[in-house]
Amino acid sequence: MTDSIKKLKSLTENIETIIRGKPQQVKYVVTALLAKGHILLEDNPGAGKTVLAKTLAQSISEGVVDFHQAGGGVAFKRIQFTPDLLPMDLIGSYIFDDVKKDFVFKKGPLFTHVLLADEINRASPKVQSALLECMAENQISVGETTFPLDQFFFTIATQNPIEMEGTYPLPAAQLDRFYMKISFGYVTEEVEFDIYTNYLKIGDMKNTVKQVLTYHDIIQLQKEAENVYVHSEIVKAIVRLVQATRNHTEIALGCSTRGGITFIKCLKAWALVNQRDYVIEDDVRALAQPVLHHRMVFRNREASKTALQQIVDTEVNKLAKLGIGMKK
Amino acid sequence: MKTVLNQEKFQQLLIRWVLVVLPTVLIGYVTLRFVNLSYTSLNTGIGSQTVYFALGIILAYTLYYYGARLAVTVLLLWVVYWLFENAINKLPGEFDVLYANARFLLFSTLFILGWVFGFLLARIKWSYIIVSALLALANLVAISETVDVSLGYILLHLFPVVLYGLYMLFLSPLLFVKIELSWKKSLQLATRLAVFVMLIFLAFVVTDFLLKGEVKAVEKELAARGAKGKDGGAKEKDNYDERNGLMERGKGGKGDDGYRLKDTMRVSTKMSQSDKLMFCSKLDNFTADGSPIPLYFVYHYLPRYDPVKESFTRDVNVPSFDEIEVDPTNLPMYYSFTDTSIVRKSLGNKFRKVVEAQVYLSENTWKHSVLGPSSVFSIQTIPVEKDFQKTFLSAYKIYSYASDLNNAYFVYNISANPILETVQGQRHDELRTIKNYRSIDRGFFNYYTQMPTGGIYDSIAQLATKLVPKDATPVDKVLAVRDFFLQRNENGKRVFRYTLKAGAVDDPNIPSSKMLYDFLFKTHAGYCTYYAGASHFMLRALGIPTRFTTGFATINRSDKNKGWYWFYASQAHAWTQVYFPGYGWLDFDMTIGNEDQQSAPKPDGTPPLPPPDPWLVLNAKAESVNVATKKLDASFNELIYFKTPHQLNKTFTRSIDASLCRVLYNERDTTLSALKAGDSLIIVSYNDEAKKIPQPRGGVAIELQIKNFPSPIVADEIHIRAKKKEEKPQEGTGRPAQQQAKKMTWQEIAWVAAKAITVLLLLILFSPLLYLFYRLVRIALAKDISAKADHVYRASLYRFHMAGFERETETPLEYAEKTIDPNLHVGFADFMRMYLRLKYSNGVVREGDADTLHQFANKVAASVRAKKGVLKTILNYFNIMRASRYFQTPISSEPETTTL
Repeated sequence: MTDSIKKLKSLTENIETIIRGKPQQVKYVVTALLAKGHILLEDNPGAGKTVLAKTLAQSISEGVVDFHQAGGGVAFKRIQFTPDLLPMDLIGSYIFDDVKKDFVFKKGPLFTHVLLADEINRASPKVQSALLECMAENQISVGETTFPLDQFFFTIATQNPIEMEGTYPLPAAQLDRFYMKISFGYVTEEVEFDIYTNYLKIGDMKNTVKQVLTYHDIIQLQKEAENVYVHSEIVKAIVRLVQATRNHTEIALGCSTRGGITFIKCLKAWALVNQRDYVIEDDVRALAQPVLHHRMVFRNREASKTALQQIVDTEVNKLAKLGIGMKK
Repeated sequence: MKTVLNQEKFQQLLIRWVLVVLPTVLIGYVTLRFVNLSYTSLNTGIGSQTVYFALGIILAYTLYYYGARLAVTVLLLWVVYWLFENAINKLPGEFDVLYANARFLLFSTLFILGWVFGFLLARIKWSYIIVSALLALANLVAISETVDVSLGYILLHLFPVVLYGLYMLFLSPLLFVKIELSWKKSLQLATRLAVFVMLIFLAFVVTDFLLKGEVKAVEKELAARGAKGKDGGAKEKDNYDERNGLMERGKGGKGDDGYRLKDTMRVSTKMSQSDKLMFCSKLDNFTADGSPIPLYFVYHYLPRYDPVKESFTRDVNVPSFDEIEVDPTNLPMYYSFTDTSIVRKSLGNKFRKVVEAQVYLSENTWKHSVLGPSSVFSIQTIPVEKDFQKTFLSAYKIYSYASDLNNAYFVYNISANPILETVQGQRHDELRTIKNYRSIDRGFFNYYTQMPTGGIYDSIAQLATKLVPKDATPVDKVLAVRDFFLQRNENGKRVFRYTLKAGAVDDPNIPSSKMLYDFLFKTHAGYCTYYAGASHFMLRALGIPTRFTTGFATINRSDKNKGWYWFYASQAHAWTQVYFPGYGWLDFDMTIGNEDQQSAPKPDGTPPLPPPDPWLVLNAKAESVNVATKKLDASFNELIYFKTPHQLNKTFTRSIDASLCRVLYNERDTTLSALKAGDSLIIVSYNDEAKKIPQPRGGVAIELQIKNFPSPIVADEIHIRAKKKEEKPQEGTGRPAQQQAKKMTWQEIAWVAAKAITVLLLLILFSPLLYLFYRLVRIALAKDISAKADHVYRASLYRFHMAGFERETETPLEYAEKTIDPNLHVGFADFMRMYLRLKYSNGVVREGDADTLHQFANKVAASVRAKKGVLKTILNYFNIMRASRYFQTPISSEPETTTL
């Protein structure tokens, strides 16, 4: 436990040397990583989404390594999504080998450990859905062959707000694959000043990011996250919460059961990130928005802002009123 | 831009109309209803009254909301008032003026009242306290005027006002800011209001619980006043019109109901009568030659005239008020109640003697007060013979200090009967010895000669003073008034007539003084209340102490059963009593006999047999009962032996032979098997020749004489006393039988109500503090560390909340980190982390947890005090609104910004 706390601390600290003033967002990304999930970052261009994704990847990988040779290293690939991107650009394609006189499969960038899918909503739905299988099943099927991916496969996708031009909104099913969706927001004045001075001091960012964790560390941390204890009252609260989203008048589509399971997985990881081996009520409140909000469809803009938060507050307050041994 | 602003302001005004003005109008309506119930003279339709009131409020509220100047508006109001006042007096027709004046007075009063309320509510911050207090006072005064008062009734009447006050208390902080009309805010408001009302309701329940003893005492007191509980409508309905009759149906809590004369009397347009048998009486008042002298039976003296309600009312606080105050139903069988001070208070000793009477009451009669000739000073309950129990429910024997100068033969001013005129003449000659009232007490004289002045009363006074020279003797003045009613016109016909339908205009809204005026100067027709009321004022105007008296006219129909009189409902009567120094109060009945119509005289019934004299009455307790042998053992320490009550210094037990005995329960025949060991009994043995009765011996202690009592004692009657009366009755040897019969004034009711409300408010006020104590006690009682942590957690959350650090939607940990620790530095976050670990991680207590807990628990109170100061810390616990917020689920209104 103490060992993993140390590792996690070094990871977050390492990222925070680059990503200033966003400890919460950094934690979310690490949580998604430990929960074996994927994360979607949404914000205006230039808020630091890509930098965060890159920094994380660099913190756990040894630069660009070959996927199959990575004996302890972590492969990191980055794809810039554009409207003319095709699925085969992602997963790879069969090309004719002159020597072997046969078609051989040339693997695409999806065959990796950490995938940065930049501006995912700028690609066509066809391409977006190509990501689906590998995110959900950790495998890629091309023609007759199915290629398994490594057990450690983490996607960081970024997207611009839907309202901006030249974007294809992600389909609900695709959104559901992402464990979390977080936004960045601008930093405060002081932090921004800090960032600029930092930039002036160090010309090349790439060199400053150290690798702090190895492939095995990540696998180990993921295992530990699974062992985090979740109290039955917390589970009950989540059940009530999920049910409430389905019965709420302002919510058109409530949270799915998969959403609930994902929520529990994320809670465990979040607890570990916060150096605990048990989940507390604060975790529920902290994670409900990033984990659940993007899975739901709201009837109006106002409800989209408040409805979920109200349900969460009610449930968390109920938890807060319980005593030890869960007496009223 | 300006119009938008105005629109907004108007919207706010509309909201305030709904939130403030509407409830105030409602509460005003409720109050007016109560007031109308008690003050009939106001009665011009509750609807219009409310409209006047509402008009005043709305107008004033709107004006002052928009910032109108007080001085200007009041001046304007006064000008309008003045114009109307003048315009009304210019109306053609005298009656129209009177009518319109009354209407306008009512309108202007209510309108201005509403105006004042509207001003207060719109401008003064804490005005709702004044408004509620005024309304509560009005309610209380109104309640105290009603006869049928019970504590439930009082609370019922006060509840709306209290509710209103608390509602305004709840609302007032909102009124000085802009009220937003969003759905969520309204919902929030509504839930808070609901919680608030729930709290109040709970407090009410608790108050009721706490004040149970007080409530019972008050109810007892009220019961003594003659009103409790249910309407006695179980028996057959009859067409007796209570509103216009002399009698009303009393509401008896003890299962009996009957008609009684009203406690207040006013002249109304017509009287309805019924011919039910009320009671019969044996009156031992005879002339020397044995012919019976009937006497009027008095129910109540109504010495006070209320010019506002225009009615005659009782006033028990008058010195020398010679009305015995006892509830005969509270006297056990054969027990007596004597108030010898009545003899002194009758203020007469010439021609006075003690007259005995037996009164048998039928089911139609009110049984909670004494009926008898004037100046009854002693009463003893007696049983009714078995054969007469169908007609008469109960009976008592009374002793009255009656005057020989009273005689019911003078009923209806009987004249043209030479014998009676001679007797009357003798009476008046005797009374002519009284020349004036200079010798009597001034206070007494002023009280009994006071009358309202102005208008109608002045014209009555003028009429009276014209009848007789100023220096005439009092009795001549009285006779002059009598002769005024007896005067005949040039045709030899009587000017004044007796009629049950007196009012020409059948309009109940006409004040009764106006009817009296019409009676004296216009119609000359009325029934007893008119004659009594008019002569009352005329006599008082002439400076003669007079009081209005209600009761029953006694009619001697036949000499078959000498001294027996039957009283029917139609004999209910009102007359005047006049005071003559040395002679006391004497009946003078000015009512004219009904010449046109003589109702067929009702035959007298068969007089009930008088009960035999008992030689022994035991107030006993049944020890054991043997139904087979008809024997029982009874223990007693009180007895009446040959009419003398004795209190024994120890308890005796004797065997009682009940073989020939009549057993009664609640004055109804039953069998011996109804008798159970432990019952309270009255055992009666008659003075019978056949029995060996030990005669009383003077000078020998009663305890020794009891040894000579036969064994077993042969009982003739056993009265089983109803169990619910737990208190021991006291014997009637001058001591009051019950500490009762005290009329509650509205001040007393207000005092009790104020106490109840104070307790209620204190309870509400102290509830946050009580909750804190509860939490602290739970900490102290906690057994293991996790339970202790639990209670510390709750208590400290509550303390921080009450110190002003209210937790909103954040979790307790966030609250600790962001709000409490930066302000108070108590390490709440550390405690919270430990607490959450205990709570959510299978509760394994680690080393150091106990220290963290104790450190934190010890620091909480000190840190709050250090931050807020001792006084403020305590005062904070009286912030009920804040405390109520602690128990509500906070709902976030701000969207979460970090993650969206």
